Amino acid sequence: MKGDNQKSRPEIPEIAKYIVFALVIAYVVLLLLFASGSSRPFEEVAASVSDSLDTEVLTQMDDRMLKRNFGLNSADYSGVMYYTSTSSMSVEEVLLIRVNSRRQIQQITDAIDERIGMRMDAFEGYAPEQVRLLEDAQQSVRGRYVFFVVSSRAAEYRNAFDTSL
Amino acid sequence: MVFSSITFLFLFLPVVLAVYYIAPEKLKNIILLVASIFFYAWGEPVYVVLMILSILLNYFCGLDIGRKAENPVRAKRSVIFAVVVNILILGFFKYYGFLLDMLNSVLPGEIPYRELSLPIGISFYTFQNLSYIIDVYRKKVKPQKSLLLYAVYISMFPQLIAGPIVRYIDIEEQLANRKTSVVRLGRGTVLFIRGLAKKVVIANMTGEIFQQISDMQASQMTVLMAWLGCISYAFQIYFDFSGYSDMALGLGRMFGFEFQKNFDYPYTSKSITEFWRRWHISLSTWFREYVYIPLGGNRCSGGRNMVNLMIVWTLTGMWHGAAWNFIVWGVYYGALLVMEKYVWGASLDQFPNPVRRIYSLVLILIGWVFFFSPSIGYALRYLAAMFGGGAGIADRGAWFIIFSHWLLYLLAVLGSTRAGYRLIRGVTEIWDGSRARTAAALVLYFGMFLVSVAFLVTGDYNPFLYFRF
Repeated sequence: MKGDNQKSRPEIPEIAKYIVFALVIAYVVLLLLFASGSSRPFEEVAASVSDSLDTEVLTQMDDRMLKRNFGLNSADYSGVMYYTSTSSMSVEEVLLIRVNSRRQIQQITDAIDERIGMRMDAFEGYAPEQVRLLEDAQQSVRGRYVFFVVSSRAAEYRNAFDTSL
Repeated sequence: MVFSSITFLFLFLPVVLAVYYIAPEKLKNIILLVASIFFYAWGEPVYVVLMILSILLNYFCGLDIGRKAENPVRAKRSVIFAVVVNILILGFFKYYGFLLDMLNSVLPGEIPYRELSLPIGISFYTFQNLSYIIDVYRKKVKPQKSLLLYAVYISMFPQLIAGPIVRYIDIEEQLANRKTSVVRLGRGTVLFIRGLAKKVVIANMTGEIFQQISDMQASQMTVLMAWLGCISYAFQIYFDFSGYSDMALGLGRMFGFEFQKNFDYPYTSKSITEFWRRWHISLSTWFREYVYIPLGGNRCSGGRNMVNLMIVWTLTGMWHGAAWNFIVWGVYYGALLVMEKYVWGASLDQFPNPVRRIYSLVLILIGWVFFFSPSIGYALRYLAAMFGGGAGIADRGAWFIIFSHWLLYLLAVLGSTRAGYRLIRGVTEIWDGSRARTAAALVLYFGMFLVSVAFLVTGDYNPFLYFRF
């Protein structure tokens, strides 16, 4: 009888595996809450982000500028929104892309890294405050959405992106 | 972090190797684990937690199955729990977006969902975890009592991101007892440099050509251009993945491990069956051991065997990604293997070797079209272009690519066969005496390393294709 009780009592590895399993579930829930993208249509996300932007500083650009500045073809993606400063002395810009497949994410983040590097080379030496903005540039990949911002209000725009999903 | 990056080559690897070789034996695994977690967290700061949880989960599951070994019913329940949870985790991160997209395309309304990016390496480390769990259940291995050793097995950076899928049974002994030496370090370095050169010289360059060609509309491609694109991709994926595997094997050797080879000149195969004995060997081995044989393998009726083959190859396609093109690619190979086994395999053996090689290569190239295509529609349009449904037979652009890159293609052909390896050996064996040969090998490999670094510094197209799986 005593032996049977001992056999049926769960042992440490058994308890531990259920605890870890529970932690996995909690972790996934946290990921979904704070690190996920969404299936929300691009137009809605873009409109939310666009509303938060300071349009006195930033102007919406067309597909040619995206190609020129990042080497990316907007037709390759399911949605693109690109704002940049009209002043050649400012590095401020905001880019939002919804990719068709996750395979495209790496291509975009590489293009963003290259863009930051080129802009830093261009502004280094005579516009330290612009270089600082580039150093503080924010990138976020949430599901199929890629968001990139260089701005003195980067945190505010990033927050607008996060809440739009 | 990528093996073929300046940060890895000139900072991470030298520092980790130096610390590892200086450290006393009992600290080596701790150093390897810390380095591996840092390596993973460098690129996946969020998902490193998932990897650690996965290690803990399977470590405890292994112990639990081991403790219940005397009670088959309880052991079976425990292994089912472990397998189901692992597949659920992999399935959730890899397929749930795909499944919901599919549902949304057929349902009248749309189910909103929150998407997550794919944790890098999850397909590889989940399969390693499963190999351990299943082998503990089958009593082929004992449960690993040391969490440190189990964590090293799953996380060790040489094979964490893109394999090879090292089975626990193959490495159990080495985890606790392995030897490092200058000779092994040298052999590992040679293998690593060979892999690096394959990746940054041949794979990246053929990849750039493929990228240029695939940017064209399939309907505007000539037959020559379409085949050239497909051949360039075949070289890219082979040199990319086998280069990565060589680097992984080389790094493993530097740290005292011997992993089994993952590629064995697959493009020299004389049949599709042989191709899959030579391509991504660790994945084929895994599916054979843990899916095909448990399903009944070939020890059953012909019909059942065909079903088994199709199940295994559909799963192999799905393993590569949550997209229809991968599923079709897997089914395509399943069907070819069934045909070779039951329809034309015996007839094929009657043909001379060159004919059999051409047969295999053509089918492999057609398979790559499904693999690289973003959609089935694109694949079909591309295949149509390959067989004359595009813009004619040949064009100047295609000839220009061939004439301006003939040396690259020659290198790729040599590197895809044993001839390349024999050539390297031949160069180092021109000189008599072991010292002269060692010096020749040093010069050759140092030269390869320098060229690779030069390509790395000047090039910007550098993704490993298998990272996405």
